[in-house]
Amino acid sequence: MSANPEHSATTGLTLGGLLVGVGGALLGLQIDQNGSWSGTGWTAFAIGALLALGAMLLRAKREGSLPRDRLGIFAIVTSFAALTFVLSGVLAPGGPWMFFEIALLAAVVVFKRPQERAGGWIGYGVLGLLAALLFFKLWIAYQGSENRWALMSVNIPVLSWLPFEFLDPIKRIALGSFTPHEMGFPPAGLSFAPTLALWSIGFALCVAGMLLSQTSAREHENDRIHELIHTLPSGLANFVERILPEEEWHALGLHGLPERRLARRIEALVSERMARQNELQSALDAGRLLSQTNPGGFAGGIYRAIVDPDPRRDAL
Amino acid sequence: MQVPLSKQARIALVATGVLLVLAVAVRGITPRATVAPEDVVEEGPRIVEPMQFLGAGAKLRGGELDQWIAADRRTRFKALRQLLFNLDNCPDLVEWIDSMDGQGLERMIAELRTGKREEAFASLALVYQLARATEWKPALMSRTPQAEAERLGSMLQDWLRMWGERAAKDTLLAEPAVSAVLLYAHVMRMAENAPVIGTLSAPRERAKAYINELLGVGQSRRTALGELVQARHGDALSRFAGRDDPLVGLAKDAQTLFPDMNGTCGK
Repeated sequence: MSANPEHSATTGLTLGGLLVGVGGALLGLQIDQNGSWSGTGWTAFAIGALLALGAMLLRAKREGSLPRDRLGIFAIVTSFAALTFVLSGVLAPGGPWMFFEIALLAAVVVFKRPQERAGGWIGYGVLGLLAALLFFKLWIAYQGSENRWALMSVNIPVLSWLPFEFLDPIKRIALGSFTPHEMGFPPAGLSFAPTLALWSIGFALCVAGMLLSQTSAREHENDRIHELIHTLPSGLANFVERILPEEEWHALGLHGLPERRLARRIEALVSERMARQNELQSALDAGRLLSQTNPGGFAGGIYRAIVDPDPRRDAL
Repeated sequence: MQVPLSKQARIALVATGVLLVLAVAVRGITPRATVAPEDVVEEGPRIVEPMQFLGAGAKLRGGELDQWIAADRRTRFKALRQLLFNLDNCPDLVEWIDSMDGQGLERMIAELRTGKREEAFASLALVYQLARATEWKPALMSRTPQAEAERLGSMLQDWLRMWGERAAKDTLLAEPAVSAVLLYAHVMRMAENAPVIGTLSAPRERAKAYINELLGVGQSRRTALGELVQARHGDALSRFAGRDDPLVGLAKDAQTLFPDMNGTCGK
C-alpha cells in the first residue's frame, strides 16, 4: 500500500495508458514502398475490439466487479484499448488465416479464465501465443513485401534444377497463397523493415502498457479498500488488515464492489475468520489435538505432564 | 470512497485518453492513391500517346515530332530523323555513332535534351530509334564486348539524369521516363552478361548505383520517378532491391514492353 495512493495508482495508470496509446498507434500504421504512411484499416481492428469486448464481459460476469470511480473507468478503458490493439495487431488482416486466428484467440483469450499472477488476460502462455501470431503476420507481410504471395514455395526436384526459363512457372509449388488485397497492403506495396519495427515496438508497448495498467488498477482498488477500512478506529483497522491481508483482497472478491457491499463483505469476512480463529483456539485449548498424537504409556504420560501439567484433568 | 484527483492527474488522464482515440483514428489513414501524370489531360496542342514514338511503330508517326522542335534546328532534326528512321542495314552502334552522321545525331540528341519538354521527348525518341536500328548486342569475339551496350546505356543515363525526376510529374514524359529506366536496366544487364563465360560486375554496379540514386531505392523515401516505377513495376523493383541479379526484373519488363529491343535490330 502506497503512502500517496493517488500518486502511485494514477501515475501507473497514466503511464500505462500512454504506452498503450503510442503502441496502438504504431500497430495501426504501415509504411509503403514509397515511404508514405497509411493505416492498417478497420477490419482487424473491429474484430480485435469484438474479441476484447467478449473477454471483458466474460471477465466481469465471472468476477462480478465493475469500475467504481473515474480511475477505475480509465483503467478498464485502457485495458480494453490495449487488448483490442494487441489482438488486432497480431491478426492477419484478411483471408482464411484471419478466421483461423479468430477461433484460436477466442478459445485462448476470451474463454480462458483470467490468471491471477499475470494481472488479467495476458498470462505467459497467452503472451507466447500472441507473439507467435505476430511473428506469423510479420512473415506473411515479409513474403508479400517481396512480391511472393504464398507462405512458402517448395522447389520441385529435377524440374527446378533445369536451367530453362520457360520452366519457371512450374518449378515451384506455392503453399498457403494469399493476395495483396487480403493483406490490406497499400497500393505501392509494403516496406517491410520500417513496418516491422513499427509493429514490433507497438506490440511490446501495448503489452507493457496493459500489464502496467492492470497492476495499477489493482493497486487503485486496494487503495480504495484500504481507505474504507481506515475509517475504523486506527487499532481496529490494523486488526482487520491483519485478519484480511491485502494480498488476498482480490481473491476474496473485494475488488470492484460498491462501497456499501464492500463494507458488508468485509464484515462477513472478518466474522467468518474470527469464528474460524475461535474454533481453532478452542480446539487447541481442549488438548484434543495433543491427545490424538500422544503415543500413550509412560512416555506419553510424562510428555502430557510437561505440556499440560493440570492434575485435575487426570482425575476427570 | 473516491480518491481525489489533482488537476495535473486529470490533465494527464485526459491527454492519455486523447492519445488512445488518436491510436484508433490512425487506422483510417488511407494510403496515397497513385495518380499517373499521363492521366491528366492537357489543354491545347499536345503530343498524344507518346509511347507510340518509342515503340516498334515509331516510324509511322516520327514526322509529327518535327513541329515541336525549335525553328532554328528543325531542319537538321528532320534530316537526322529521316536518316535514322530509314537506317536499314543494322550497323554496329559504336561504329555508326562515331561516323559523321552519328556524331551529328549525338550532338542533336544533346541539344534537344537541354531544350523544352517536347524537344527532350524527341531526343529520347531518337535514342530509342538508335537502339532499334543499330546492333549493340555483345559480340562474342570482341575484346570489349560490353562497349556497345554501355554506350547506349550512357545515352539513356544522360537523358534520365537531366529529365528523370522532372519527367515523373510531366503528363508527356512520365511514361517514357519509366520505360527509359527499364530499357537502361535491360541494356546494362546485357553489358553485364557480355562475356561468354562469367559476368562483368562493373556495368551492373554502375547501373545499380545510378538506379538507386534515380529512384530512391533503399532510402526512406522514393523519388517521384521511383514511385512511378514502383506503381508499375513493383515486382521488378523488389528484385532490384535484392542481392541476386538486381537488374533482371527491370530488364524482363523492358523485354516485355519492347520485344524488338534486343540489340540485333529486332532479328
